[in-house]
Amino acid sequence: MATKPSKLRSGKPLTRFGALKTRFGAFFVDWALWGYVAYAVVYLLNRYWYTEIYFYGRLTVPTWGWPIVILGTLELAVISHAFAQSIGLSAFGLRVLTQDYQYPSRAARLRRYLWWHVSLLSLPITLFGSGLNNQLLHDQMSKTGMFRIKDVKDEMPVSTPRAWYKTNRGVVAVLLIALTIWVGGLVTQINISALIDRAPKTAYMWKALVTPDFTHLFALDPELAVNANPDLPASIFSGLLQSLFMALLATVLGGIIAFPLSFLGARNMMGFSSLGWAIYWVMRGFFNIVRSIESLLWGIIFAIWVGFGPFAGVLALSVHTIAALGKLYSEQVEGIDPGPLEAMASSGARRWQVIMYGVIPQVVPSFLAFTLYRWDINLRMATVISLVGGGGIGRLLFYYKGQVGRIPNAWNQVAAVIAVIVVVVWLLDYLSGRVREKIN
Amino acid sequence: MAEQLVIEHLSKVYARGEVRALNDVSFTVKKGEFLVVIGLSGSGKSTLLRCINRLIEPTAGKIFFEGVDVTAASSRELLRIRRKMGMIFQQFNLVKRSSVLTNVLAGRLGYVNPWLSAIHKFPREDIEMAFKNLDRVAITDQAYKRADELSGGQQQRVGIARALMQEPALLMADEPVSALDPATSHSVMKYLEQMNQEDGVTVITSLHFLSLARRYGTRIMALKDGETVFDGLPSEIDELRFKEIYGDEAEQVEVR
Repeated sequence: MATKPSKLRSGKPLTRFGALKTRFGAFFVDWALWGYVAYAVVYLLNRYWYTEIYFYGRLTVPTWGWPIVILGTLELAVISHAFAQSIGLSAFGLRVLTQDYQYPSRAARLRRYLWWHVSLLSLPITLFGSGLNNQLLHDQMSKTGMFRIKDVKDEMPVSTPRAWYKTNRGVVAVLLIALTIWVGGLVTQINISALIDRAPKTAYMWKALVTPDFTHLFALDPELAVNANPDLPASIFSGLLQSLFMALLATVLGGIIAFPLSFLGARNMMGFSSLGWAIYWVMRGFFNIVRSIESLLWGIIFAIWVGFGPFAGVLALSVHTIAALGKLYSEQVEGIDPGPLEAMASSGARRWQVIMYGVIPQVVPSFLAFTLYRWDINLRMATVISLVGGGGIGRLLFYYKGQVGRIPNAWNQVAAVIAVIVVVVWLLDYLSGRVREKIN
Repeated sequence: MAEQLVIEHLSKVYARGEVRALNDVSFTVKKGEFLVVIGLSGSGKSTLLRCINRLIEPTAGKIFFEGVDVTAASSRELLRIRRKMGMIFQQFNLVKRSSVLTNVLAGRLGYVNPWLSAIHKFPREDIEMAFKNLDRVAITDQAYKRADELSGGQQQRVGIARALMQEPALLMADEPVSALDPATSHSVMKYLEQMNQEDGVTVITSLHFLSLARRYGTRIMALKDGETVFDGLPSEIDELRFKEIYGDEAEQVEVR
C-alpha cells in the first residue's frame, strides 16, 4: 500500500493567484459585514436624526458621506483582518501568522495594516513580477503571512481559547445581531403597544371562535344552495370532501409522474454518459425551480388557465407535488446500496432489469412513506389554496370570513370550518405517521 | 480449448488521484483451475476481478474469454459474455428486502425474456432450477424469507445459488468469506470447491488468508501494488515469498 501523499502545501503561506481567491473571499466577507453595519448605521441616522427633516423611506446620505462609507468600511475590514481573527478569515479557514508560524506581535500587525495600502496599489506588479519571493508586499514587509489553518495546525502554538466576548468574532457577531433586531424592528414596523392596546377589541372574535356553529356541517347553507354557485361547496362536509379528494388526486397524479422522473434525477442512475449527466442536471433544475414556486403561486396560474375551482387546485398541488416528491424520491434512489446493482450487472442483466430488480425493491418503502407524508402536506395546502381560487373547504372559510358584519354569527361559522380542518389534518397526520412507522 | 481466460498487459489507472491500481498484469487461466488471488488490501485484487467482466473499464490491455475479446465487445456482446461469468461478493450484494427466491432468480435475468421479467414472471424451468440450486447450498427452507433475515453464511450461499443460475463457465469471487467467521468461511469455500470439482467451473477468487488459499487453491497468484509478484503452486509460497507479498511486518494467521 502506498503511503499517504504528503501535505504538499503544508506551511506555505498563501500567495499569488491560486490562493488569492480564498484571500479575496475572506476579505469580501469582512467588507460585506462592515457594509451591513454601515447600512444599519445610516438607516438609524436617517430615522432618528436626518429624517426629522427629510425621509421618504429611502436612505439618504450627503454627497460627501458616500466616500466615508465606502472607504470607512474598507478600512474597518482591513483592520479586523490585520488585528484579529475576523469572521471572514474564520469562514475561509485562514489565519495570519508570522513566517515561523507564531502569532504576530502588535507592531507586526500594525506594519501589515499600513503596508496593505501600498500593497493594494502595487498588486499588479507583485502578481505578475517574480520579485519579493512571490509574496504580496504587506506579507513581505511585516514578515507575516496568511495560512490555511489546516495546513499549519501542527506548527501553530497551542493557545487556550478566549471567552467568546473577548474575541473579534464574538463581539462582531453580537453587534450584528443587535443591529439586525434594532433595524429590522423599525423596517417591519413592530408595534408592541398596538398588540397590547387593541387586544380587548378582539374579545368578541375569540368568543365566537371557541363557540363554533356547526349548523352547516352537513346541512346545506341555504344562502349558498340558492345561489347555486358550483365552485362554492354548500356545506362544510362537502367542502371537506372536495379538499380531501383534491389532496388525494394531486398526490396520486404527482406521485405517478414523479416516480419515473426521479430516476432521471438520480446521480447513480444517470452518471454513465454525458447525455445522462445532461438529463440529470435538467431534472434537478426542474425539481428545484418548480419546488421553490409555492403551490399558492401555481394556484394563481392554473386558476387563470382553467378557471376558478377545485380543478385548478388539483393542478397546482400536482405540479408542486411532482417536483417535491421527485426530489425526495431521487435522493432515496441515490442512497441505495449499490451492491445488488453491481451483482446484477455482472450477471448480464440489462440496465432497466437492474432497476426493476435491484433499485425498485430497495426504494419502494421509503417512496410510500414520502407519498403519504405528501398527502398530509397537500391536504393542508388544499385548504389554503382556495384563497387564490382553488376550491375546497378553504372557500367556505374565506366566504364566511367575508360575511363578517353581514350575518351575525359569521365568526362562529368560521370557527366551525377551522375546527373541522384542524381535526381532519390532525387525524391524517396521526394516521400517516402510524402507517409510515409500519412501512419502515 | 485449454486456455479459458487470457489476460494481456492489463492496466487500470483511476483518473482521480492518478492511482495505478493495476500495472501490466498478464496471466492465463485454464479450464477447471481454482485460482486464488492474494495480496494486501488495495493491492488491486478487486479491480482485477472487476476488469475481467468490465464492471470496471480497464485502461489498457486485452482480455480474452473463451476466445472472445472482452475488451472489444459491444454492450450487447458484453451482456452475453457476462452471462457466462458468475460473480459473488464480499458483502453478498443481495437485495435485502426481496425474498431469497427473487434474489436467486435475479441471476437468471441475462437469459430470460426481458418483457416477461418486467412483470416478475419467470419460466417454470427457471423456478425449478432456482429451487435445485437452493437445495445444493442447503437453504431451500429459507426460499420465501427476506434476504436480510438470513445469517451471513446463509446470505453468501444465496449469492452462490444466484451465480449458479447463470450456469457459469467461470466463477469469480471477490473476498467471499471476509465478512464471515472462520467456521462459516469453510462451509462457503467448500461449496466453491464442490462447483469447481463436480461441475468443472473455473474459479477465480481473492482471499485474505493464506491458509485458506493453500487449502483450496490449485494455483495462487499474488498482487502487490497492482503488479504480479507471485504466480505458482500453493506449496511454493515459503516464508520468504510470504514476506515479499505481505511485507516484513506480516505474520501468518491460520484459519481452521
